[in-house]
Amino acid sequence: MTKTVLIAEDEPFIVESLTFLLKKAGYGVESHGDGKAALDAIIARRPDLVLLDIMLPGINGFDLLRQLRGTPGLSRTPVIALTAKGQEADRQRMLELGADAFVTKPFSNKDLMIRIEALLADGGTSRAAAAGRTDG
Amino acid sequence: MARLPIGARIRDRRREQGLTQSALAAAAGISASYLNLIEHDKRAIGGALLRRIAEILEIDVGHLSGSDDARLAQDLVELARSFGSATLPEDSALGFVARFPDWARAFVHLHRRYRESADAALALSDRLSQDPALVEISHAVLTQVTAIRSFAEILDSHGDLVPEERGRFASIISQQSDELANSARQMLDLLGGTRGQVRSSTPRDEVDDFIIAHGNHFPALEQACDHLRAELTDAGADLAAAVDERLAGRHGLRTSVAAGLDRAQVQGDRLLLPEGTPEASARFLQARALAERELGELLDGLTDDPRLTTEDSCAGARAALARYAAGALRFPYEAVLETAEALRYDVDRLAARFGGSFEQIAHRLVTLRRPGAAGIPFAFLRADPAGNVSKPFSISGLRMPRLGGTCPLWALHAAFASPDRPIAQLVEMPEGERYLFVARRVTKGSGPFDAPPVAFSVMLSCDAAYLDRLVYGDAFASRATRPTPVGVNCRSCRRGDCAQRAHPPILPSAPARPGAAARQPSAPPDLGDARTLRDSSQPEKRRILAS
Repeated sequence: MTKTVLIAEDEPFIVESLTFLLKKAGYGVESHGDGKAALDAIIARRPDLVLLDIMLPGINGFDLLRQLRGTPGLSRTPVIALTAKGQEADRQRMLELGADAFVTKPFSNKDLMIRIEALLADGGTSRAAAAGRTDG
Repeated sequence: MARLPIGARIRDRRREQGLTQSALAAAAGISASYLNLIEHDKRAIGGALLRRIAEILEIDVGHLSGSDDARLAQDLVELARSFGSATLPEDSALGFVARFPDWARAFVHLHRRYRESADAALALSDRLSQDPALVEISHAVLTQVTAIRSFAEILDSHGDLVPEERGRFASIISQQSDELANSARQMLDLLGGTRGQVRSSTPRDEVDDFIIAHGNHFPALEQACDHLRAELTDAGADLAAAVDERLAGRHGLRTSVAAGLDRAQVQGDRLLLPEGTPEASARFLQARALAERELGELLDGLTDDPRLTTEDSCAGARAALARYAAGALRFPYEAVLETAEALRYDVDRLAARFGGSFEQIAHRLVTLRRPGAAGIPFAFLRADPAGNVSKPFSISGLRMPRLGGTCPLWALHAAFASPDRPIAQLVEMPEGERYLFVARRVTKGSGPFDAPPVAFSVMLSCDAAYLDRLVYGDAFASRATRPTPVGVNCRSCRRGDCAQRAHPPILPSAPARPGAAARQPSAPPDLGDARTLRDSSQPEKRRILAS
């Protein structure tokens, strides 16, 4: 079954390159430039992984992650935060809120794809187990 | 403090002047063998003999006695401490200054340049972290770089792109590159704008150095002001009225009061004073205007000094000298000295007697340094309510903080809470020296109700040895009176048990315990309150930024 990645990012060119890369790698892709719309979409469609920009309009990345982790069944959805270089405090906060990894802009496509693949390989079983407990 | 090699100075200077030992001894009225002992530092010299020898050798007494060096050594010690070199004792600094005065000055100069750079870095760092426009541009730059990198990698690593994709991605890269160049230009524009705003501390330091190098005393100005005053009051005229008349008659400058001004200014043929300017200030400003006009050449000559390296420094020194001249003109040297001794330096009474303000008289007292007819040596300092220090005049012994704020325990700061009368304070420095501090809150006239009042605190200080000559010393005459333990500023203060500590000391607490945590000497355990904890983080940040 095709795995899906949701991109929560408001910069259109970054969304375009990520979309291209993910589709080439065989993933289903959905993207939103607004935090609120992104959260609604995640809750409704439960993607396999979320790429989350911190500086989002609507709901920012921190609040989105907090709400996402508080939603039953989404507490273990892999989330990769997209952050800026030099913002160590932001990265730390994202990890504390439950992000699984972060990549620093400007990121290397290859590094990003490796992280996505690793998280999806690792998260598949644990998420299924978690889903069994909380959604069942 | 180490004894200064006065003898060597006398010998060097004598040789420079081409005098033999016996010739100098004869001129000074002492035997050649006694001079020989002095030159080899086997006999102490001071007072009248030192002054006589200085006169014969045509050199400043301060240079011979080494008080210039003492000041330079203090600057060195202070700057070394500001870098955390706590082990540099004052004695060795004095020895260093005595042997290598030019190197010592070079160090102080270098440290000033460093402070300027650190200030500039702090200003820019504040700007970078707080300016929303810069934050926005930085975000845009990051976004553009991210898109460019990502698409460049795609073009590079995906050989199977269809022509439309290839064209589309290449055009995104090109477009984002243009945007990136735009962002860079905007950033340069913003940063370029800060250049003029970064304040350099050099001109003020240079003016301070210039004035202190003259021992806070300018004989040529005193003499010129005496002549001018004698001329003005020749026919028994009132000085203030004569100054007013002379300004109008000879210089076409008339004084009037103008509404809406926040400070005095000259406009065309008018000296305009703000409404509510006190009489003493008005008279002083007129005297200053007259001094600028009649003693211009003398002021130019005095400020033609290698210590003043920039136009700003020269202008600052000229303004300081014009204020000096106004004081010298308004408050005659001999009369002020005589009355001060008679009134036991009661500044408020002196102010009433001479028609001056507390600050003007305090300032005048500092300048009473004529060899042979000197008053008590005073240091002077002025601060605003936030503790920003200005107009510092130091004396030998008492270090004036030149690298940051003062000790919060000084009367200088308490004076703001006592608006109607001066505060006297007997203090003891960490090394044991005692000083008498006298501070008073002063205001700049009565401004309009809707404008904030402009207030300063003015402080005189002198060695506690003069206690009995000052009216302010009476309260401390009893041996039972304990002095207030203070420092110069927190950074250089070793007192570990001070509840007012705002910054951690750079020096370890004295006496240092074996194994005491020299890395974290900030607050003793009993002071671990919220204020101390909060404040201790801030200087750390500043130090990191500044280093």
